[in-house]
Amino acid sequence: MHELGIMFHVVKKVEAIVRENGLAEVEAIVLQIGELSPVVPQYIVACYPAAVDGTILQNTRLEIETLPANARCGRCGKVYNLIERRKICPSCGSEEFELLCGREFNIKEIRAC
Amino acid sequence: MDSFKVLEIKESVFADNDREAERLREALRRKKVFLLNLMASPGAGKTTLLTRTIETLGNEMRIGVMEADIDSDVDAKTISKTGAKVIQLHTGGMCHLDAEMTKQGLEGLGTDDMDLVILENVGNLVCPAEFDTGASRNAMILSVPEGDDKPLKYPLMFSVSDVLIINKIDAAGIFDFDFEACAQRARKINPDIRIIPVSAKTGEGIGEWADWLRASVRQWRGE
Ligand SMILES: Nc1nc2c(ncn2[C@@H]2O[C@H](COP(=O)(O)OP(=O)(O)OP(=O)(O)O)[C@@H](O)[C@H]2O)c(=O)[nH]1
Ligand SMILES: [Mg+2]
Ligand SMILES: [Zn+2]
Ligand SMILES: [Zn+2]
Repeated sequence: MHELGIMFHVVKKVEAIVRENGLAEVEAIVLQIGELSPVVPQYIVACYPAAVDGTILQNTRLEIETLPANARCGRCGKVYNLIERRKICPSCGSEEFELLCGREFNIKEIRAC
Repeated sequence: MDSFKVLEIKESVFADNDREAERLREALRRKKVFLLNLMASPGAGKTTLLTRTIETLGNEMRIGVMEADIDSDVDAKTISKTGAKVIQLHTGGMCHLDAEMTKQGLEGLGTDDMDLVILENVGNLVCPAEFDTGASRNAMILSVPEGDDKPLKYPLMFSVSDVLIINKIDAAGIFDFDFEACAQRARKINPDIRIIPVSAKTGEGIGEWADWLRASVRQWRGE
């Protein structure tokens, strides 16, 4: 489990953004997590209160958007979801693919004033 | 309530680590210090291979070791018996090292009189592959008892490694490890990966491993 350690980075980053932009109060932060990213959304949610405890993010809301693990077939070019299709192209059966998205872990936005 | 505004950030959290790792790598290059990041599952033979490596190369280069462990110092004690300079990094529950932790470890170890520093990463084939430590090269060990299907299950680890050490070949007779199949699977993910079968126990193959490491250190140091 490494989510807590990673969330400390997120908090530091958000704190820096808040300072740079002279924001007074943060209401929510929105993270984007790809289906193939090395962080587990449930664990992020579970450790959020601990990660923000005593920081300016205490009592803020966390929102998570999941990004699909999409790939383009290396043979026929079809775009499909790797996890649902278990890495096998639904049109031609090829296992060759190029990953298009799904490994992201982004701070998408901050809602603040 | 509606006074809240939305700030678009759209920044990767891991991008910070990648930048930090790149800075660290450049600093190491300037100092002519080669950092090897050694990754493997628990028990694959990292510490045993390290001991062998120090025995083989210790009289021709100055070697330091950083042992990353969640909470013990068993490995650091083992390595200290070789006479090499060693530091224990407690990761405090973290299952991988990132560039920042690696940098702090290097500061603790002191690299002024080092040619080669080896980082024994946390035993884990998953997330150490996700976090660039700033190392000059990545090496991974797969040991024979773990099976030849590991490239299929942990592709990222194989894709980020410059060299794959297949350890415990002395035990090959007991297991059904298919070296050819393993090599094919690994090369499908990473065509450039160098594969070196060894036994850290008997010393078989250690010469080839030491040759690779020596050449990599020299190239890094511009010798
Ligand atoms: N037969 C055989 N045993 C080996 C070999 N290399 C290591 N071992 C044994 O495997 C066990 C684990 O080796 P370590 O070197 O401690 O492995 P490690 O990867 O450092 O383990 P952790 O740090 O706990 O993740 C020990 O009992 C070693 O003696 C080998 O080449 N052949
Ligand atoms: Mg060890
Ligand atoms: Zn297809
Ligand atoms: Zn981890």
